[in-house]
Order: sequence, then structure tokens, then C-alpha cells
Amino acid sequence: MDNAVEVKGLGKDYKGFSLRDVSFVLPQGTIMGLVGPNGAGKTTIIKLILNLVRKNGGEIRVFGLDHLQHEAEIKSRIGFVHETPAYIEDATLKDLKTAIAPFYKKWDETLFRSLMAEFGLPAEKKFKKLSHGMKMKFQIALALSHGADLLVMDEPTSGLDPVFRRELLERLSGWMQDERKSILFSTHITSDLERTADHITLVDDGTIVLSRPKDEIKETWGIVKGAAELMTEKRRASFKGVRTTAFGFEALTDDIPAARREFGPGAVIDRASIEDIMIFMDRGNGHA
Amino acid sequence: MPNILEIRNLSKDYGDFKLKSVSFDLPKGTIMGLIGPNGAGKTTVIKLILNLVRKDAGAIRIFGLDNLADEAAVKSRIGFVHDTPLFYERLTLKSIKAQVAPFYKNWDENLFQRLLREFALPPRQIFARLSRGMKMKFALALALSHEADLILLDEPTSGLDPVFRRELLAKLSGIIQDENKSILFSTHITSDLERIADYITFIRDGEVVFSSAKDELLANGGVVKGGNDLLTEETAKFFKGLRRREFGFEALTDDSAAVRRRFGENVVIDKVTLEDIMFFMTRGDRRV
Amino acid sequence: MRNLILKDLILHRKFLLLVGGLYGAWMGYFGSRMGSLRVSIFLSTFLSCIIPLMIFTREDKFKAASVSCSLPVTRKQIVLSRYILSWALMLIVYALIVLIAVVIPGGKVKAGDLLSTNAIFLALALLALFFSILMPLLVRFGMVGMFVFLIGMQVLGAVLLFLAARKILPFSLKDILASIGRALASLNAHLGGPGYYLVLFGAMLVLSAASFSLSVFLFQRKDL
Repeated sequence: MDNAVEVKGLGKDYKGFSLRDVSFVLPQGTIMGLVGPNGAGKTTIIKLILNLVRKNGGEIRVFGLDHLQHEAEIKSRIGFVHETPAYIEDATLKDLKTAIAPFYKKWDETLFRSLMAEFGLPAEKKFKKLSHGMKMKFQIALALSHGADLLVMDEPTSGLDPVFRRELLERLSGWMQDERKSILFSTHITSDLERTADHITLVDDGTIVLSRPKDEIKETWGIVKGAAELMTEKRRASFKGVRTTAFGFEALTDDIPAARREFGPGAVIDRASIEDIMIFMDRGNGHA
Repeated sequence: MPNILEIRNLSKDYGDFKLKSVSFDLPKGTIMGLIGPNGAGKTTVIKLILNLVRKDAGAIRIFGLDNLADEAAVKSRIGFVHDTPLFYERLTLKSIKAQVAPFYKNWDENLFQRLLREFALPPRQIFARLSRGMKMKFALALALSHEADLILLDEPTSGLDPVFRRELLAKLSGIIQDENKSILFSTHITSDLERIADYITFIRDGEVVFSSAKDELLANGGVVKGGNDLLTEETAKFFKGLRRREFGFEALTDDSAAVRRRFGENVVIDKVTLEDIMFFMTRGDRRV
Repeated sequence: MRNLILKDLILHRKFLLLVGGLYGAWMGYFGSRMGSLRVSIFLSTFLSCIIPLMIFTREDKFKAASVSCSLPVTRKQIVLSRYILSWALMLIVYALIVLIAVVIPGGKVKAGDLLSTNAIFLALALLALFFSILMPLLVRFGMVGMFVFLIGMQVLGAVLLFLAARKILPFSLKDILASIGRALASLNAHLGGPGYYLVLFGAMLVLSAASFSLSVFLFQRKDL
């Protein structure tokens, strides 16, 4: 199967923060969720893929093509949603569409109009008059209206209510029925990811902590809870993160079967949610 | 007086939007989550409580006092965290505090300093330089430092990562250990509410759809899935929201036990989340 | 290319018509009342240059570059479209100013003066000079950087004038301009009319090309 996106050894240095040796693959026809604490590097990764910032090292291939050498061609097939919608504030939505649509050969005006109607976006309204959620919806409408093969979205659901979020996710799932389409999106709302993502990539402090199919994570990552006596130095080392509680310990493992064998009936093992993993693996670098 | 906040028949007419006869109570020592689609009226309710907008009709009693007649007395005991903390961006945290504190008779400087340390907020830092999460923590520190008995939070966690959100929720849970305090919290991130809320009030189209105990909602409710042939006029009354699909229907019930008795093993009943409730009650049909 | 230029025109049309139109008309009126032809040409070309640049400072203000750079175009194409659009706008605004200056009664300036070969060449040279310097600055340092530069230049000019007036400097602005004028005159004498204009034109092209290359280089390296 071809990969929609391949990132190898990607690096970027900023003053006070760097992205190091970031590698992951987004297989065609799948949805990948990018999660991580604030400041971990999710937006940087997305900007690097779109060449909004220059990489300092590594390789990025989109649709099998180098992302710099074939920049325009690749971007004609990408629908993007930025975390901070940035358009000329005075312009009306109609103007913005008229200005942007011609860049895309496969622009679908009928689809765009129906999306605008469905999202409740009046064409004559000025961009600056929209709430944050409406601005995001506008970006989403543009991104879906030009026959894109890859959607790259940075926090597309921020400011949107749960009802719209679910509808959007359902719509995106429907969009994905075409096996050539893929989605990469970053979010803080891990429940959305649990619902729709095929792959999860967790970023923290500029590095990839894990990048795995969601189902695999569900099978193998768990929270082991037990009495304090059950914890030994050797066992502690095998965990990804350990917390002491009033009743004993809670620890994150990436190998549930092994933990079961090790602890037997003495400990309770629950499946770890993405949020649990993030919290246990948080390096506590004072990001928030 | 068991309730910190009592709202009766609150109404506000904005022309293109109306808040209609909203009523609910917030008992002492509890956390209530305010949920609803964008534009439903959540922020309006909060603004009316704070008298930032004038009500057209209805009564708001806080701490047993009328919110208009005793406005100053009431507000001295309310702490408010807005979704975009609005302070003078160029001032240091110290200066902002110096501006705000004198308004409150019960300002507790020691508590404030302790909170600054706990949240790792440097007092000489300029407000604009803080990350979004830190700004929120600062607003919370201010809100908590004058012995407020009612804390109002309007979308405090949008854009913040799960690690931070969980910290915040733990902090909020800690606050209401004091039986005389209550928290009202509007948010789109319903998974957070499932974690800590005692009560949930759902507002849609300017009306209260329900105001109930969270545990009851989640225990008694369910998402029912079955074949379309099971849907008749009679069975429709079990469901609060219904979606027909090709392969069967999905519906929300607020009484799983009754559904089980009626349909036996012919349906699957999944655990319900707040998001399910919002979704089905906003987008689901109410007729068969 | 066409799409990029149209995009800017569509999104900024109100601004262009209002600000370009009003300022252009104002400049035409006042310019026609100034005593010195050279000074009015100087100020008019400066204003004509600023108008297109202000479109791009607006984009900077709204941080709209991240959208432009997400579209299926390269950064080089974006810069090229800006150079083309800016030149077109500069020439249009300048033409408008000249038109107003000539058409409004009571002006001290005659059509013949403004439309003489020398005057046109001076205008083109100044447009090329201003734009070639300011555009890369705008690309690299944004709106703030450009304004800092302009204000800095004004301050520098004021300081130089002051020093010259106090005779602290051995020369004045007039001396500098006079010596430039003499150098150009001798070049003219050397090369003859057409040759002279050709060389100047060539110099403008080289300057613009260098500015373009620099802008492309800077914009390709800009992190958004």
C-alpha cells in the first residue's frame, strides 16, 4: 500500500525548542491523529509538511513525491485547516472563495455551496465577523471542496460543539470511503480520536513517543493497578510511567499480556485511553 | 439554603435569538456542567448571572440574594474565568493583581501567592508572554483568591491539552471539597465533565432541555441499536432521539432498563456518553 | 500567476480603490501646487510605491501568508506575482497622480514638464529604487520592519540636514544631489541621448532583478 505521507528523520530548530528525528508514516486510506501536550511540536510537524517553515533536516514525502521539489503539485491535492484561521479580515466569505477556488483544478462549486449552507455560513458575511468555530467551519468547507486526496488539519475542532464535531467526524469517515483519501489531524480532544482514528502518533517535547495503529494500542497498552508491595525495581523499569496512589500504584504498560503474566490476579489491568497514555508519559516540562 | 444558585424563568430576547424561561438550581458543594451546541445560550446564561447583560424577565438568586438588588455583595463572592482571559496584555501578573485585588474585601494574598507557586506562575512575567494554559491558570488563581463561593468558568479549557485539563479538573474537584462552594462550568469537552461534574444542564435553542445528576444520566441512559423493523409508533416513545441508518437504527434512551424489558435481546444497548446525549437530542429525530 | 494576482486584487480591491484613489488624487492636487517639479515627482513616486506595499503589509497584519503559502504555488511564484502586481499598480497610481495634476486648474506644473522624457525617466527610476529597496525589507522584516526603515530614513535625513545646516558636515543634501546630477549629466554627454536612457534603463532592470532575487531568497527562508 502506498503511503500518503512519509516523514523520516525530520528536524527543526527554534530558539528554545527543537523537533528531533521525527519519523512516521501515514498509509494511504487511513486517518492519523496527532496528539501531544501544548508546545510538543504537533503544529510544527504540520507546518513542516506544508513547507510553511523550513526543515533543518530529514525527508518528507507526500504521495510519494518530495515535498519541496513538487510543492505546488502536492498542495493542489491537499486540503488544509490551520489552527488559527488567517484570512484577510475585511473580505467576505464569497470574496475569499472567489480568490482561492481558481487555484484548484478540481474545485467543486456545488459541493462548496452545500457545505456553506449546511454549516450555516452566509456568503456575504465578512470573515472578521465570524466566531472562531465558524472560521474553522469555513476552512473545512474550503478544504473539502477541491477534490483533495489528503486533509491536513491542525486542531480543526477547537471551539466546535460536540454535536458538530461528531457530524464532522462522520462526514470525514464518509469521505474516507474512497480508499485513496487520507487524513492527518492534530487535536486535544482525544475522545474524537478514539472514535475515528486508525493510527495515533503521540508527540512530546519535539520527539515521537509512539506512532501505532489505534487498535494495536488498545490491545497492548494498559494501566496496571495494584497494591504497593507488588511493585519492585525490576517491574518499575518495565513500565512507561508509574504513579503512586492512596491504594498502591498505577502504572502504564505497553505490553498487557506480559503484565498479566507478571502480576497474575494480584493486579487489575484496564485498557489505557489515549488520554491516560498522554498523562502517564507526560515529561512534565512545564508546557501548559 | 441548599442551593448556591437558583434561576427561575430567566428570559432574554436578542431579536434573532431568545433565551426562553430558563430555570435550574446549583446545589452547594457541587460542580455543574453547562453543555449545549454553539449559540444555544450557555454564554448568555453566564452573562445574565453576572449581570453583564440585562435580563428581560425571571429571577436569579445567588447565595440567597437577588443578583440585581445585591449585585455588589453577590459579585464579591463570585469568581469568573472567561474563555479568553482579558487582562491588560502588557502588564505583569503582579500589576494585574494589584488592580483587581482591591475590589474584593476578602482578598487573601497568602492564598494567591500559594496558587501562583502551585501553578508555576512568575509574578513579574508579562501577561502577554504566557501560554494560553498559563493565562487560564492565572485567571483561575485570581478567581480563587477572594474566597469566592461560586466559581463560573466559560469554556476554560478550549485549546488546552489533556494533561493540563486533567490537572485543572483535579484542582476544581479539590475546591468543592468545601461544602459551601460550587462551580458552574460551560464546556464543549464533555469527557471532562464526565470525569468531575455532579450535575449537567443541557441548553439547546435557548431552553433548558434537562438539568440532572450526571451519574443518573449515565447509568440510566443508553444508546440502543437494532433493526429498523423494531420501530413503530409504540416503540418510538422509548427514545429521545433516533437516527435511522441503512442497516438499522441508533437511538438514545433515558431508561435502559425499560428498553431491555421491552425489546429483550433484540437490541444492543451501549453505555451512553454525554456527547451521545447531546448529539441524539440535537440531531436525532423524535418521531419514528 | 494570474490566480495569484487576481487573488490580491479581489481581496484588496476596496482598499486599493479607496486609499489608492483618494491618496492619488490628493497627491495629484498638492503635487501640482508645489514649486519644484523634482520634489513633486519624488513624493508622487514614493506614494505610488507605498500603495501596493500596503496591500502586503495588510496581509502581514492578518498573518494571511500562511494561507497563501498553503495554496498550490511556490514561494517564488508568490513573490513574482507581487512584483508584477506592484509594478502595475505603481504605474497606474502614478499615472492617476499625473492626470490629476495636469487636469486640475491652477497648478504650477505643466503637462509638458511632467510628461517629458526626463521626467518620466526620473519617475521610473525612483519607482524602481524605492520598490527594490522596500520590498525585500518587507519580506524579511514584515510591516514593522518596513516602517522602522522608513522612519529611520526620515530621522537620518533630518539629522543630516541639521548637521549640514550647522556646517558640522562639510556638505549638504543639495551638494549630494548636485553631484549625482553632474555625474548623470556627464554620462548623458558621453553616451548621447538614447544610449544614456538605455544605460539607465538597464541599471533599473538590474536593480529590480537583484531585488527580486533577494526577495525570493528571503521569502523561501521565512518561517511562518
